[in-house]
Amino acid sequence: MGAPRSGARDASSCDGRNTLLLKPILVGALLASTTIVPAMAQADTDITVVLSEELDLVEPCMATRSNIGRVILQNISETLTELDVRGDKGLMPRLAESWEDKGDGTWQFKLRQGVKFSDGTDFDAADVKHSFDRVFSDQITCESKRYFADTALTFNVVDDHTIDIKAEPAQPVLPLLMSLVTIVPSETPMEFVRDPIGTGPYKLTDWTAGQQIVLDRRDDYWGVQPEVTKATYVFRSEPAVRAAMVEAGEADIAPQITAEVATNPATDFSYLNSETVYLRIDNQDAPANDIRVRKAMNAAIDREAFIGTVLPEGTELAVAMVPPTTLGWNPDLSPPAYDPEQAKTWLEEAKADGVDTSLPIEIIARTENFPNVTEVAEALTQMLTDVGFNATLRMVEVAEHEQYYSKPYPESEGTRLVLAQHDNSRGDPVFSMFFKYDSDGTQSGVNDPKVDDLIARASAATGDDRAALWSELFKYVHDDIVADVLLFHMVGLSRVGERLDFTPTIATNQQLQLSEIGFK
Amino acid sequence: MADISIAKPAAETARGPNLLSMLWRDKLAFVSAVVLLLIVLFAIFGPTFLGDLATKQNLRGRNFPPFSFERGWEFFLGGDSLGRPMLARMIVAAHSTILIAAGTVLSAMIVGAGLGLVAGYMGKTTSQVIMRLADVIMSFPSLLIAVVVLYVLGPSIPNMILVLAITRIPIYLRTTRAEVLEVRERMFVQAATVMGASHARIILRHILPVVAPTLVTIATLDFAFVMLAESSLSFLGIGVQPPDITWGLMVAQGRPYLSTAWWLAFWPGLMIVITALSLNLLSNWMRVALDPAQRWRLEARKTKNV
Amino acid sequence: MTKMIGQRAIASLLSLLGLMVLVFFLSRLTGDPAVLFLPIDATEEMKQQFRALHGLDLPLIEQFARYVWDLLHFDFGESLRKARPAIDVVLEAYAWTLPLALITMGLVITTAIVLGSLAAFNVGGFFDRLVSIVSLVGASAPDFWIAIVAIVVFSIGLGWVPTSGVGTPLHWVLPIAVLFIRPFGLVVQVVRGSMLSALSAPFVKTARAKGVKNLPLIFVHTLRNGMLPVITVIGDQAAALLNGAVIVETIFGFPGVGKLMIDSILQRDFNVVLAAIMVTAVAIFIMNILIDIAYGLLDPRIRH
Repeated sequence: MGAPRSGARDASSCDGRNTLLLKPILVGALLASTTIVPAMAQADTDITVVLSEELDLVEPCMATRSNIGRVILQNISETLTELDVRGDKGLMPRLAESWEDKGDGTWQFKLRQGVKFSDGTDFDAADVKHSFDRVFSDQITCESKRYFADTALTFNVVDDHTIDIKAEPAQPVLPLLMSLVTIVPSETPMEFVRDPIGTGPYKLTDWTAGQQIVLDRRDDYWGVQPEVTKATYVFRSEPAVRAAMVEAGEADIAPQITAEVATNPATDFSYLNSETVYLRIDNQDAPANDIRVRKAMNAAIDREAFIGTVLPEGTELAVAMVPPTTLGWNPDLSPPAYDPEQAKTWLEEAKADGVDTSLPIEIIARTENFPNVTEVAEALTQMLTDVGFNATLRMVEVAEHEQYYSKPYPESEGTRLVLAQHDNSRGDPVFSMFFKYDSDGTQSGVNDPKVDDLIARASAATGDDRAALWSELFKYVHDDIVADVLLFHMVGLSRVGERLDFTPTIATNQQLQLSEIGFK
Repeated sequence: MADISIAKPAAETARGPNLLSMLWRDKLAFVSAVVLLLIVLFAIFGPTFLGDLATKQNLRGRNFPPFSFERGWEFFLGGDSLGRPMLARMIVAAHSTILIAAGTVLSAMIVGAGLGLVAGYMGKTTSQVIMRLADVIMSFPSLLIAVVVLYVLGPSIPNMILVLAITRIPIYLRTTRAEVLEVRERMFVQAATVMGASHARIILRHILPVVAPTLVTIATLDFAFVMLAESSLSFLGIGVQPPDITWGLMVAQGRPYLSTAWWLAFWPGLMIVITALSLNLLSNWMRVALDPAQRWRLEARKTKNV
Repeated sequence: MTKMIGQRAIASLLSLLGLMVLVFFLSRLTGDPAVLFLPIDATEEMKQQFRALHGLDLPLIEQFARYVWDLLHFDFGESLRKARPAIDVVLEAYAWTLPLALITMGLVITTAIVLGSLAAFNVGGFFDRLVSIVSLVGASAPDFWIAIVAIVVFSIGLGWVPTSGVGTPLHWVLPIAVLFIRPFGLVVQVVRGSMLSALSAPFVKTARAKGVKNLPLIFVHTLRNGMLPVITVIGDQAAALLNGAVIVETIFGFPGVGKLMIDSILQRDFNVVLAAIMVTAVAIFIMNILIDIAYGLLDPRIRH
């Protein structure tokens, strides 16, 4: 029913609109009586995936939004490079066969030959250029644009299958950034499309808003034919229902279920999901501007007590904003010990030096941020209160949370600690550290020249230097200035039907490559 | 019809002891009254006496199963997901629950009935304006009101009452107006008008008493509805938020544990059901007991039973 | 009658206008859609671009003028999140909500009137108590609790019906059953109460005293007199259903207007919120006109 009419808002379409008003009702009524349940009439190699929220868009340039990425990324649309998140192969070729640093900020990419889009056209360098033009267009707001915030890219099509990309200033991780931009054909308009065309092994064959999205396997895919012939995506927001659907055989994969319903070891998998939970402290705000107060906050929290109780088994204690699989992650750091007596002592010392430790500390947490967020926030509040902080909890919905989380921070009598969850599965800290710790970072609570300097140098460095600089930064932030209260690397849980041969991993948070799914 | 207003004063004199013994005779209504009294006592004294107990967390002792005195009486109904005693929490939660439900129902009833009386009694234009206003409120989704109020004013119990009360006004308004339109035409009201009684007097002395029973029925039903609406808002993340607790919030928070720790959502849900049931049984009884035209039913049963 | 409907239609149009103004400005008090549409680390420039593309950077009053102008051309604007006309999104959802509401309300009205009246005739008796308690327990049990337990029992345990979604008529069974419970409980109580009042009216008493054995006659006459508050409550409940059954839709993955409404409100998709509210309002206004006509038919004195 959803004809691709996006952008049609001209006043002259009055006549067309009347039929448009009636059509959905008729179609809806028809569907109500005729459509067959997808799960009940499928071939052995057809699968149904039940996602937690409906997709607003199926737009390739929005594929970095996780719910869109799970459907599109590497299924419909592919990228030039691909990060091996589950293994240690690092950055792998996808649509680009190889790349090399030409110096002066320019990288040359050799593109794969003989690749066809699902509309039959050939893939070439012009498509790559157009895909980036779309991302940078002022006609649409593409998510992937944010990765190139301070970088100007110029494209030079050398031949059909060679393209030079010059970044100013030089961007050492440019090939990595190429794993975040999906390639669309040159004919794609500068507006959100509803019928995405890509080079991937699947093509979109049905999108019935509110109900389902169907991908069918292509016969003319350049790579290895995946086993799954058809994937139907449906949407249920209740974790118990998603789990129930797999149990009842109505679906085959249910990502993002909760620990409470994940009770069947045969079907339920847990894996680190690249999300990190922490309390953001505004280091400029009294009383948190005193390092002893920040240390006391860290020592007040019994992190171990959360794991296996309100958070699933397998959750890890965080010592950095990024998961351990990330470049430069520092293995020498250890989480602050739970020591309420020490916390009280630090608070006493600060108080003796004139810090007003009785100022109110408001913990801001977001409803539905992650499973059991309310319990986590309540427990954190209690632990802070126990060592003598004047802590209160305020649960807010997403829009309000954003106000407290991003600059400019609203005024407060004491200070606010923002409970937040940050996702970095991209393999490099550059996607996290500037935003969370630089003086100009939008969610940063830190204003420290040394931090700014380290971030700037690490971002520009390559190879071992880069890893060493990030390591140094992690240590400085965690041990020396105690910038925040890092808490947990979170675990994701998915239920996978027993007929499938598929193990969800850290990558499942951002994408769900159908080609990785086999049958037993 | 006229007998209603005449019979009333006569009934009043004999009401006190008679009413209590009548209540004692109707066992279901009596139990309801006792339960409600208990809940009100919980609501008033709960936070003072059990406030600390209800917030004492124990992460490693969470989801303690019910029906065991091993950890003291307060854990008889089990512990919640943060290891806090369910029984104590439910008693403390009665405070905010009853405050919100009663506050909402009362304010919606007063505003709604007031506007409804005016709309039904006054001329056509006033009536039209008020009724169209009710249409606007009726089609204004409570979810949007909730988000607007929470975003602009912040989450708090008075704001919650505001959100819920706005959405409940139309039902009282429309009911009152419909009844007034009918009562207004009755003989005794017409008579009073002819005799030169003032508008206020007619409305308060003649119309309100006839309309009141229906309003009370709706209000008692609404009480449960409001507790559940508040729970639904919590379910959607735009209702009462911790550290405040209400039964509705407890039910919403216990939802993920339905299969592993049923008691988290079950007990507070049961409290909502019990409160609603008691309130309605009592109000059904009162409707009959306080209506001289219907009291014979109870009297008749009395002679039969004795 | 025609005149009355005409007047009501005009008055309702005014209400609709008032509603639109109210929703337009109130919803815009709730924050910036750009920060919700874009990821948290989006640049200020991207946010600005998003606002400019959707006219959100204009002065509020100009945004309003544009909206009204487009509305006059039956253009409800574009969904900020879905990049398609807001009205299409809403009508698609309504095509699911409307049958759900109608079927549920139909079932509620028939069963509640029959059972409520029978209870009133048998006041204080076993059947009366049974109906009261069962309906009250049902009406005051939290619906998401019932919904999830129903899925566990009937879909997983017994395998009678699918867990969720739409498609076959079987898919509708659980959502309708869960939705039915609360309005049924309320309406049955009000029917019972009104019937009790009506039964004690002089003409019924007289008829009973005279030994009229024609119970159906009494039933019909009493029902007619007791119907006014019943209709009001039915209207209230129907309005709630027309607003979409948020919880039931959320749990059963039913693509109705309730789920759309909550998602759009939380995501600040203003155009969809406005379109959804206005379409709902039209449905509710039509229903209210029907109710007032019903009042007039039942009690000729009310007719103006």
